[in-house]
Amino acid sequence: MTAAARKLRFAYMDHWRVDGPQGYVSQYSSVKLLDGFVRQVAALGFEGLETFEFHVPVLVDLFGSLANAREFLQERGIERIVGLFHAVMYRDGVSQAHERATHDFLFNNALQTVKSCGGLGVRNLVMMPAGQYHAVEPVSDEKIRACADLWSRVGRMTLDYGIRVCCHHEFYCGIHHAEELRKFYEWSDPRYVFWYCDTAQHTISGVDPVDLYLKLHDRCGGFHLKDTHHVDRLGEYRQAPESEVTAKTTPRWFWEMGTEEGLVDFPALFKAMKEYGYEGWVGVEHDKADIGGGNYPASTAISAWYIRNVLQKIYA
Amino acid sequence: MKDQGITASGRIKWGYAFNQWKLGWQGFARVEDHIRALKVTSAAGFRNVELTAGTGPWDPTGRPESIAQNFGSTPKFAATHGDWGIDRFPGVFFDPAQFSFEEGHGGLRTTARADHPLLLQQGGVFARFLAEVGGEYLVVQPFPPFWKEGALTAETLAIAAEAINALGEANRALGLKTWLHVDALSALRTTDELDRLLALCPGPHVGLALDTAELTIAGHDVVQLYRRFHARVGHFHFKDALAIDALGEYRLPHADRAMILAGGQREVPRWFGELGTGLVDFKGLVAAMKELGYAGWVIVESDKGPQPVASSVLLNSYYVQSTLLPRLA
Repeated sequence: MTAAARKLRFAYMDHWRVDGPQGYVSQYSSVKLLDGFVRQVAALGFEGLETFEFHVPVLVDLFGSLANAREFLQERGIERIVGLFHAVMYRDGVSQAHERATHDFLFNNALQTVKSCGGLGVRNLVMMPAGQYHAVEPVSDEKIRACADLWSRVGRMTLDYGIRVCCHHEFYCGIHHAEELRKFYEWSDPRYVFWYCDTAQHTISGVDPVDLYLKLHDRCGGFHLKDTHHVDRLGEYRQAPESEVTAKTTPRWFWEMGTEEGLVDFPALFKAMKEYGYEGWVGVEHDKADIGGGNYPASTAISAWYIRNVLQKIYA
Repeated sequence: MKDQGITASGRIKWGYAFNQWKLGWQGFARVEDHIRALKVTSAAGFRNVELTAGTGPWDPTGRPESIAQNFGSTPKFAATHGDWGIDRFPGVFFDPAQFSFEEGHGGLRTTARADHPLLLQQGGVFARFLAEVGGEYLVVQPFPPFWKEGALTAETLAIAAEAINALGEANRALGLKTWLHVDALSALRTTDELDRLLALCPGPHVGLALDTAELTIAGHDVVQLYRRFHARVGHFHFKDALAIDALGEYRLPHADRAMILAGGQREVPRWFGELGTGLVDFKGLVAAMKELGYAGWVIVESDKGPQPVASSVLLNSYYVQSTLLPRLA
């Protein structure tokens, strides 16, 4: 089947590291290491990548230009960088989405990012739309409205660059409970703010991502398909400095699709995607897959296996 | 996901070996680890997997008894592997020189007639298993390593041929081919010896398995070797070679350890590599295979590579998809 004929095309959100003679290093350390990473992902049938914005200048350094970097990817079967994760460093008084006084700073920060990534084919700018819960609480309507206004403003600007603002709600995000999510999407401009469905993050938050998709399907800008074995029942989303890595009870939150203990109902999600006619890029993510002896190549392959053998039979 | 097109690629039947996953005697001993490894292999586009004859209780797919113990029975195993994305287990790699708890020996020699009955008994265990799961072949190491056997003579070649022919007949009766796999340490060193062996072991049910890396390490040009013996070749192991045994260290005592694992005098860090990273002319080889109409098995291997194993499998998959398949189309 040609790329044009496929309703769904899969992109890989990149958290890999490479174990080599110099220890555990980023695959962005050299063209050779990046080449090995891209080949492995492409071998599985992925056609797009997602990465972090801080890798963009590294790509320029490695290849001379982003056009060269994209050509390198395309030669290996990767069409584009589908999503760029805008890693906002939220700081009180400087850059907090719920503090309107800092919005110009955050707006210009996003502007700089979308200006700098031209040539990679980026479709989505993905970000956590509020600071960590412990920095935002008590979460109020006013704070949610401030976040909604910020990202509506940013989203209007990024569309000028052909890029959508896609909000991705980590389980420790200031906006992650069901009611907070409802308000945020009600108060943000549907023309400019899209929802990025991270299946594991929502599940950890106690929010069923399938149920959320049914409610927000017309706002859905993409996915990070990953699984979890745990729901945060102890309120560890409040854990400073960052719950993903320092929660007391759970050293590893995220798992690849296809593990027996996984809590996300991916078949139901794909049925819903088919029902509502979702078409386009679907991101697959493994975040911290190496905790406890795992490794990224195996996790990526198992996810690809799950897509081919389970999900594509539901919706391709 | 983009189609990989490996398994269904014309006359050549592609598969992947399984030996690379075994980490020490007691590693990789859990059923779920084997299923996960099979899924990784399937995801890489290889839906046929060649098993490796094992021994002991730590290898769930190493012997039919282990398969029965871990998966219920051989028929149940055969009925289940499709759930893991595996179409077939076409063959088993069997090295009689490896010790076996079950048969109670410390390594058999094809060159010793006294070993033949036990060798045939052990080979039969795997052949019957293969017949039951719809397999096609048994890959056999036809000789012990040089450091154990020394140079072959006309007499030892003839004695080994007796064992191979008996095994080949037994396999043929079960509908299986027997492919002879010469590795870098084998007592068989020369093309002349290979000529003589094949003359003593007529086909078509017995033929050659050419291992691209093992033979390159042993100093052969595998493209030339294939061109010379193509009429008898029905099976390949595709892996790359990162060094040649220029010092003749196959003669070292315990060369499997001293040369392969320790790297010999030069401390070669790694003899085997992913496809396209070493000394094997794969482009030339597949050109010859296409020219000569090769229509057998190609089993890709990741032999003794660094962790993670999955990385090697994916890199080899990429090379097959991007470099080899277009040349075979």
